[in-house]
Formats: sequence, structure tokens, C-alpha cells
Amino acid sequence: MIDDAVLQTMRAEPGSRGHSEPEPLLRVQNLSIRFDGAPPGVNVVDDVSFSVAKGKTLCLVGESGCGKSVTALSLMGLLPTPPARIVNGAAHFQGKDLLSLPERERADMRGNRTAMIFQEPMTSLNPAFTVGDQIMEGILRHRKVSKSDARERALDMLQRVRIPAPEKRMRAYPHEMSGGMRQRIMIAMALANEPELLIADEPTTALDVTIQAQIISLIRRLQDESGMAMILITHDLGVVAEVADDVAVMYAGKIVEAGPVEAIFEDPQHPYTIGLMGSVPSLGRRQGRLATIRGTVPPAELMPKGCRFAPRCPFADGRCDAEPPPLTELSPGHWTRCWYAPLEDHRGGTP
Amino acid sequence: MNTGDDAILQGIGLVKHFGGGGLFSSQTIVHAVDGVSLSVRRGETLAVVGESGCGKSTLGRLLLRLIEPTAGDVLYEGRSILSLDQAEMRRLRRELQIIFQDPFASLNPRMTVGDIVGEPVWLHGLGKGAQRRERVAELLRTVGLLPAHANRYPHEFSGGQRQRIGIARALAGEPKLIVGDEPVSALDVSIQAQIVNLLEDLKERFGLTLVIVAHDLAVIRHMSDRVAVMYLGEIVELSATDDLFDSPLHPYTQALLTAIPIPSPANRKPKPLLQGDVPSPTAPPPGCRFHTRCPHARPLCREQRPLFEAAGDGRHVACHFWREIQNAGAGNISAPPASPALARRMALYKTWRERQDEAANPGR
Repeated sequence: MIDDAVLQTMRAEPGSRGHSEPEPLLRVQNLSIRFDGAPPGVNVVDDVSFSVAKGKTLCLVGESGCGKSVTALSLMGLLPTPPARIVNGAAHFQGKDLLSLPERERADMRGNRTAMIFQEPMTSLNPAFTVGDQIMEGILRHRKVSKSDARERALDMLQRVRIPAPEKRMRAYPHEMSGGMRQRIMIAMALANEPELLIADEPTTALDVTIQAQIISLIRRLQDESGMAMILITHDLGVVAEVADDVAVMYAGKIVEAGPVEAIFEDPQHPYTIGLMGSVPSLGRRQGRLATIRGTVPPAELMPKGCRFAPRCPFADGRCDAEPPPLTELSPGHWTRCWYAPLEDHRGGTP
Repeated sequence: MNTGDDAILQGIGLVKHFGGGGLFSSQTIVHAVDGVSLSVRRGETLAVVGESGCGKSTLGRLLLRLIEPTAGDVLYEGRSILSLDQAEMRRLRRELQIIFQDPFASLNPRMTVGDIVGEPVWLHGLGKGAQRRERVAELLRTVGLLPAHANRYPHEFSGGQRQRIGIARALAGEPKLIVGDEPVSALDVSIQAQIVNLLEDLKERFGLTLVIVAHDLAVIRHMSDRVAVMYLGEIVELSATDDLFDSPLHPYTQALLTAIPIPSPANRKPKPLLQGDVPSPTAPPPGCRFHTRCPHARPLCREQRPLFEAAGDGRHVACHFWREIQNAGAGNISAPPASPALARRMALYKTWRERQDEAANPGR
């Protein structure tokens, strides 16, 4: 069934793939977040829309300062206010707007229906409590179960995240474990109440490559078992290619390209996406110098009026400097925010 | 062991243990580097790769004598640098430089960029006053900064610019060899690429020898001529880069390569994963140190330490069974070719990107 209202939301929703998909579990619409003291009109997250369906993974990709973590924190109700303020938008999750929930309801939701894991597990675990106590705390907070049932459940979680000697580990403190083990504990804590939505913010960035591979395969397996939806925040295009169903590339607070993962990797449209791919060395034999993106992300006070990527973009011209390009759909479900996409049509010849 | 090939810097049987000993230090001994020999050839880029705790950073510091080894020797231009006194060592520092991972932690926040970069110029008596200022301006231009930046402080710069400042300082003494200790791993992807290209340009322009200590295998494949793979304080494989990536010999190298996520969603497949964590370097396993995680381990591996033996084509590997394992299929990663649309747009991007640089710096 397609009516204008549906088309309208589809337009604003680069995360969704087509009409045949079920109602998304989470639908973020026109989210804008501002830091106090930023110049007028410069939002750290600007008019961001996406959706995630049950069992699917959306990757938010971008470099530091592009707004991906701020977006995630706002969904969890963990945004530090002040200085950050949500100035517009909604995030519908199971019939409720996550952004306007009273704090009490948010706390009931967090760690229960929605959960989040962070990059550095050491800073998110309490060093003064045993691992078992910390996992049990989350279970007891949200479920009416006895302490021994909670212990049972915690033990079960440790087994599911493949921690060797789980009974012994229940009594261990975070500092007694390696980084990979701590990240497993974080995952066990996050999944203990079987959340429908997991937000993972750079969950493997601090880990070594063999441990990263273990954690990614673990997250995928748990997702298959539980059917939870996931928003994975990362800057690593390799990780994106391995886990994403859909991808949203963010730059300076805006989504610049979004679509199914195959479309992003095989038919990238935005110059920023292409520049990012060129910046990562290929794993094959060397192919000349790396392509680079000139300069750095502009600070808020120097945010360009037109396309935010224009000062760094090799293709930019006066129009890009003057007018912000809209997010347009180039093929079904594949959106990009560039005046000159596809590039070969507009920038193919020599100027 | 191969000592020829015009080695500029050689480590011989290097051992570094931390702890034990003194009244206040811990009883446990960390075996950070345990019997490592390698020679760095003049003009090459040698990468030392491994996971955290494998001893790669310690090895980098030992090679520059930033820390004293427990045993072993370091030869620079064929001469031991361990026997040099302080004054001689300081003179030698001009030629042997290091760039650190976190440029902010390695730059004095109270010094201006001009002083930071100019200090080695003054220290080594390479210029004073106006001459020194001119040299600083030239160094800043060399690394892609502006001479006007000399009056600012490190906190006013972004991570990538700070790394450029660190590089300018390393270049100030006109070094022959630079050790880069994870020089790009703290930087964003687009900045990483800028610094990788800068290091390559500088290497060519000044005829430098680079030793890159890193964990990012894609960056290593791109930058280096040879790769040494470390595990728990030992080198387990040393090969020319393409050989190592095309046909890894050691099971640990194979596992490392398999673990790299491939940036191609069409080629997703389950892969054999290395299980468990790296054992603690305070109690490295007996025999082959990798046997506790090795999928091919046999009883011999638990008992006998494998020799670091020649494996043809200048390759070296420390594994009892490398001949049988090399065809086990694990490892060799194949990067899928870019899609036609991506290839076309990447070419377009590079062309326009060059034009952008020319417009910014006409005549360079």
C-alpha cells in the first residue's frame, strides 16, 4: 500500500529499502541537535532521518565530529543537556517517541528494550564491582526475578558470549580481563534483557584485529539468534562491508549518502564517500598513491553556508558554496546529497 | 641470518625484560622482546606488525637506544651504538629519529611550534637566529604547514597537523632513518591517507629509511617493502611485503590476514577465526609461543622452540611445520576488484583532486 504520506516518510528516510519491508522498528525523522554556543543554524546533527527494521543492521559511517555518536546518545537519552539540545525531530520506537519520553520511562527502556555498547569497555564498566554483579544489576533492574535467577541468567549470557570458565569470571573484576574479554562482558550486559535495538558505538575500534574479528562474528551470531536490530557506528569501511544491511554516511552532521550496503560500495555517489574509500589502502597489490581528502572537518564557527563538504571537495563550484544540496534519490533506496551526482555526467569532461 | 644487503641498522639477539630486579619493582618479569635479530636495509620501508603487547613498540625503541636492552646489540652503520657515551649518542640522534602515535602527548604544550621544530636545529648546531627561523619555515612548508604556524601552540592544531609538526621536528636534524611508532593509527581515515602520502614523499625526497611499527595491515601493505610479524616478543615471520600477503607462511600471519575485514559486501563469507587471547608476556608459553592458539599445533610445538629459518626468496619463518601449513588455504586474502562505477568515479576523483592541489599551490 502506497499513499502520499508513506511516500513522504520514505523520502525523508534513507535507511528504508522499499515498500515491501515491514514497519521499521526505529524511525528517526528530521533529527537536529545543537550545541549551546554554536553559531545560529549550525547544528551538530542536522536533519538526520533513517530507519532500522527488525533483525537488520544500519551502519552510521563517518569521521570524528560528524555527529554519529551524538545521534546515538540522543536515541538512548544520554545526551549531555546542556550543552547539547535536541532542536527538532522524532525517533519512533514501538509507538513511542524516544526523544520526548519522560526520564523515568527512558530509564525503563534503557538496558532493557534498547541497549548500547561503547568503544572503550574499561570506562563503561564499574571497576569496584565484579563482572557478575554488574550483569545481574541490569537484569534485576528491569525484570521481576529472584537474585538466583538473575545469577543464572548472567551466567548464561557469559556462556553465550563465549567467555571461558564463566563461573570463575562472574567473580572477576574488570581490570583482571583483557580488552576483548571486557568487550564481551559489555555485550553480555547489553544483551542480558534481550533488547530489540542495540546501538554499538565503535565496538571494535580499540581491539586488535584478531579480537575484532571474534567480536564481530559474535555480534552477528547473537543478532541472528535474537532478531534484534542494530545501529553500528564505525569509521572502518571493512567492518561496514562485513555487517551492514544499510549504510548512512555522515559528514559534519548531515547524512551525505545512504542506501543498501551493496549500493554504497559498488555505486558510491557522494565525493566524500569516494574520497573515504580512496583514503583506505586496498588489501591487494599497491596501486599508486592514496587518494586523499584535502583539509579537515570545519569547526562549527566556520561551517560553510552551502554544501558542508564543499571546501574539501575537488568537484565543488560556486553553486556548492552557495546552496546546500538536498538529499535526492538516485536509484530506489539510494540517496545522496550532491548537486553533481552522478559525477561522470556532470564532471566527466575536462572543464 | 642475513647480515648483508647494505644494512643501515641491525638488531642482534635483542632482549628486553621489564620488572623483576629492583627493590620496588614487581616480581613478575615481562618478556617484551625475547631474542630478536633483524637488519634494516638502507632506503627501505620495513614494517613491524603485531597485536598489542607483542613487543613491537619496545623493539622500535631498542633499535634507537631509547631504552637499554637486557641483552643483545644494535649496530648502526656496522658500529655498536650501545657502547657510545651520552655525548656521542646525542650526536647520533640527529640521524636516528622517531615519530610517535599520539602527536599531542609528544609535543610540549608550552612551546610554540617554531621552538618545537627549531630546538633540534639549535641543539645540533645547524643554525641560529634568522638562519634557524628560516630553516623552521622551510621545514613547516616541507610537511604541508605554513611558516606562520611557527608562532602558534600545539593545542591550536588538529590531530593531523600535530602529526605534521612531529614529523617536521623529526626532520629537523636531517635524519637518515626514522622509526614511526603507529604514526597514523590515532588519526581519522582521511587524515591517515594524507600522512601516509607525506611520509612516502619525504622518504623519496630525503632518501630516508623508514621503520614503521603498526597494527593496520592495509597501511603496512601499502607503505612497506618488507614486513616483520611479531608475536609475544618474537619475530615469527619476515618477508617481502607482497610475498607475505600473497602467501603467508606462519599460521599466525595467516590468522592475522584472515581477520582483516574485506571492504566488499559481495564477498561476505564465514572465516576461520583465531580463538582466545594473546597469553600474558609475563609467562609466555613454552615451545612455540603461538601453540596455545595455533590451529595446526602438534606435541612438538609445545616442547621445542622453532628456529627462525630461511624459507627461500629471502623469507624467514619460525614454525616447525611451515612447509605443510603454507598450503592449508587459510590466509591469503584477495582484495576484490573495484566495481566499474567505483573505478570510474575514483579515477575522476583523483584527477580532480590533483587539479585541486595545483590550484592551491600553483607551480609545485
